[in-house]
Amino acid sequence: MSSMPPPRKAALRHELETIVGGGGVLSDPEELLVYESDGLTLFRALADFVVFPRSVEDVAAVVKLANREQLPFVARGAGTGLSGGCLPAEGGLVLSLMRMNRVLEVDYDNQVAVVEPGLVNLHLSWAVGPRGYYYAPDPSSQQACTIGGNIANNSGGPHTLKYGVTVNHVLGLEVVMPDGEIVWLGGRTRDALGYDLTGIFVGSEGTFGIATKIVVRIMKKPQAVKTVLAVFDQVDHASAAVSSIIARGLVPAAVEMIDQLTIQAVEDAFGCGYPRDAAAALLIELDGLAAGMEAQAARIVAACRDAGAREVRAAADEAERQLLWKGRKSAFGAYGRVSPAYMVMDGVIPRTKLPYVLGRVNEIAVAHGLRVGNVFHAGDGNLHPNILYDPRKPGEEARVVAAGAEIMKVCADVGGSISGEHGIGLEKADFMPFIFSAADLAFMQKVKAAFNPAGLCNPGKVFPTKKSCGEAGPVAYRPHAIETQGLAQRF
Amino acid sequence: MPTPLLDGLRALVGSDHVLSGVELSPYVVDGRTPEAAVFPGTVDEVAAVVARAAEAAVPVIPWGGGTAASVGGPPARAGVVLGLGRLRAVVEHEPGDLTVTAQAGLTLSDLQAALRARGQWLSLDPPDAERATLGGVLATNASGPRRQLYGTARDLLIGATVVTADGSIVRGGGRVVKNVAGYDLPKLFIGSYGTLGVIVEATLKLRPVPDDERLVAVRFERLKDAGSAVRALLGSDLIPNAIDLLDASAAAALGIDGAPAALVVGFDGLGEQVDWQVAQLASVVGPGGGERVTPLAPAAWSTLPRAAHDALGTPAAVMTLSVLPTVVAELMEQGASSARQRGLASAWSAHAGVGLVTAAVRAEGDRQDPAALAAVLAEWRSAARAGGGHASLARAPLAVKTVLPVWDDAGPAGRIMQRIKAELDPHNVLNPGRFVAGI
Repeated sequence: MSSMPPPRKAALRHELETIVGGGGVLSDPEELLVYESDGLTLFRALADFVVFPRSVEDVAAVVKLANREQLPFVARGAGTGLSGGCLPAEGGLVLSLMRMNRVLEVDYDNQVAVVEPGLVNLHLSWAVGPRGYYYAPDPSSQQACTIGGNIANNSGGPHTLKYGVTVNHVLGLEVVMPDGEIVWLGGRTRDALGYDLTGIFVGSEGTFGIATKIVVRIMKKPQAVKTVLAVFDQVDHASAAVSSIIARGLVPAAVEMIDQLTIQAVEDAFGCGYPRDAAAALLIELDGLAAGMEAQAARIVAACRDAGAREVRAAADEAERQLLWKGRKSAFGAYGRVSPAYMVMDGVIPRTKLPYVLGRVNEIAVAHGLRVGNVFHAGDGNLHPNILYDPRKPGEEARVVAAGAEIMKVCADVGGSISGEHGIGLEKADFMPFIFSAADLAFMQKVKAAFNPAGLCNPGKVFPTKKSCGEAGPVAYRPHAIETQGLAQRF
Repeated sequence: MPTPLLDGLRALVGSDHVLSGVELSPYVVDGRTPEAAVFPGTVDEVAAVVARAAEAAVPVIPWGGGTAASVGGPPARAGVVLGLGRLRAVVEHEPGDLTVTAQAGLTLSDLQAALRARGQWLSLDPPDAERATLGGVLATNASGPRRQLYGTARDLLIGATVVTADGSIVRGGGRVVKNVAGYDLPKLFIGSYGTLGVIVEATLKLRPVPDDERLVAVRFERLKDAGSAVRALLGSDLIPNAIDLLDASAAAALGIDGAPAALVVGFDGLGEQVDWQVAQLASVVGPGGGERVTPLAPAAWSTLPRAAHDALGTPAAVMTLSVLPTVVAELMEQGASSARQRGLASAWSAHAGVGLVTAAVRAEGDRQDPAALAAVLAEWRSAARAGGGHASLARAPLAVKTVLPVWDDAGPAGRIMQRIKAELDPHNVLNPGRFVAGI
């Protein structure tokens, strides 16, 4: 946080209020505390102001003011991010987009919707649901996270295996550029003219500008859905089943894996019907036409049995299906039953490397004297090892951070990636060289310079930084307000 | 060309792999002959060639199968054609990962053959697969009928290695299907026509080959009715993998004779899924006037994307129009009528469910009048804009290109594109002057 002289701060507050209205600006340190971190509470940084624009014009005016005053600024949605991406790492302004939360238009015939960035992901599916449509990207935090935040992170979710991630569903964006200019990238047609600016903007973690209108594809709800639970006595067998399903020519909508530690936590907390003694379980979902659904399910069952599953069963009805998914989606919350704190990792590996990497993850945790639970998107190879620890024990958090770095290195070394859906943000900026060369990073920096030449828009993110960068950095764990209020779960 | 550069290129890749003089005729674009055509054998050689050309301030024109060479503004300067045809290895295909990494010069049909041998395919089906290369398909964002269900390159490309304007080798994305580390550079190279980097290697998501696949045609008395049927189909429970709308002449080119309009619909999946959908189709499109659901031979898949083109034999010009799906049929009717009014014949086809329209045009007789041609094409472009979209020339005589911009106007976004180009290729080495916004 910058140490802004009080008279300047008062003058700026007044000017911001004339843009967004009274009640649209926070500048007291107590009020700003809520915005000092996202879902990754390991990093904290205080802004000078949090402002709540209501329109694209508001956003543009605030951004122009920030440019005039040379203040860094960052957009923020629900704050459910898990990499510190929306932190005001260098002080300045936070633009909370939570008041821009409307569905502006739905064009069912062309299967597109135009929404504002502060719209909660799930609320879009609610809005179009009565007509038989939904918005496909479904991050586990979809009850809280916003579509603007999904744009920044190119968010995924369990069903990305079949339907792709956020970028595959975004056609166009109205953007306030880092200099305050309002520009449309892409539009409503499927093919944009020229470079795919929408495509490169999505996933740029707020460093290319602020999306103020978003054109997304909406999809017809599938005619039929079938959910299968496969139970394994060995983790390796569950891993092998994932490859076996793929090798049999099946592309399920989702293939999720839950290990024993996680199953026990979930069963303690919610009782969702997972067998407590299983080494691992796969939650597999098929969707599409009713015709052929049974035949596909039979192939899934056979693949799991051949891989050594001790039990494979389909959810008997919608209630059981919902319960199984509740277990999966609530897993992170359930860790609270077995540990005072945990840190969620996010890495990606080739699917065929699952058995090896899961073994290595466990070895690394053991070597650091830590326990690890796994609940993740196995079909995509997107791991989420969760390292359990007690923040009150001196030195334990540092061991978690060290173990996390080693796990990322393992993902990189098998040809994977250091993030599948949570982003780089502050957390992993220094891991970028694990997978990118200096030339790769320099090229990315040039792309950034084309969008954000002054560097005021979300500085200090994505790229390896000098350690002098702001006050943000790992601090002792405290639950963040959004966790204690139950507004968000980590996933 | 200064001899030192030519000698330098020969030293880099070997004399056998540098063409000059009369050997260059296949590489003439819009009447301009390049200085040389160079065919490096390795990624490092590609980098060395680009670096050498950049040093000499000679443009580099990346070249795959040459199937899209007609697209783009007329080259302002002669340059060096950089042929990728010798880079044609499948670098890695692990079926259990459902991904492939291959070199840019591999033809799409060779790639598909290698994948099919192991039960998988790349769900991208642009025309001319025997000649079109993987790198070219990506650089031109080429697509085909199955994009209705499987999307385009942006939905499939997960990693790309490129040689940049200064001859460095840069990798973006990765080899895993889900990856948000850093900027999604592969997106930037798709459809960039070689102006930001020379794609040398790509990693893509694959799909299992479906058990069954079928293509059927439905006839309509009016294009408008077929357009309404597309809407009904999109709102139904059916999951077609292709929905192409053809006018009478494009339909005839596909062997569907005597139909004023035809809808060609594809389905894939398990046999029972395909059976059920084909059986349902009549009840979905019938009420709107669709008649005689007829199976088409599998060979129709590859002629379908060329139907409008083939209908006219050798069209004088071809335009690609991108609009909202709901306005496709109206655009086709209106466009054909404006061509007729100027004495020109046109043929139309569309990937109707995604709003991508192809229109071909030629004079009725032998006399070609560039002014009339340009006027019609300009009217088509206006119609596309009125439909919320844009239109660009896929092929046109130089006389037309000089009066009608090849690319539609990118508006304020064009300035961002120019800034990206200026950052990544400040000396304008890569395919200069042929792309959107004067890039």
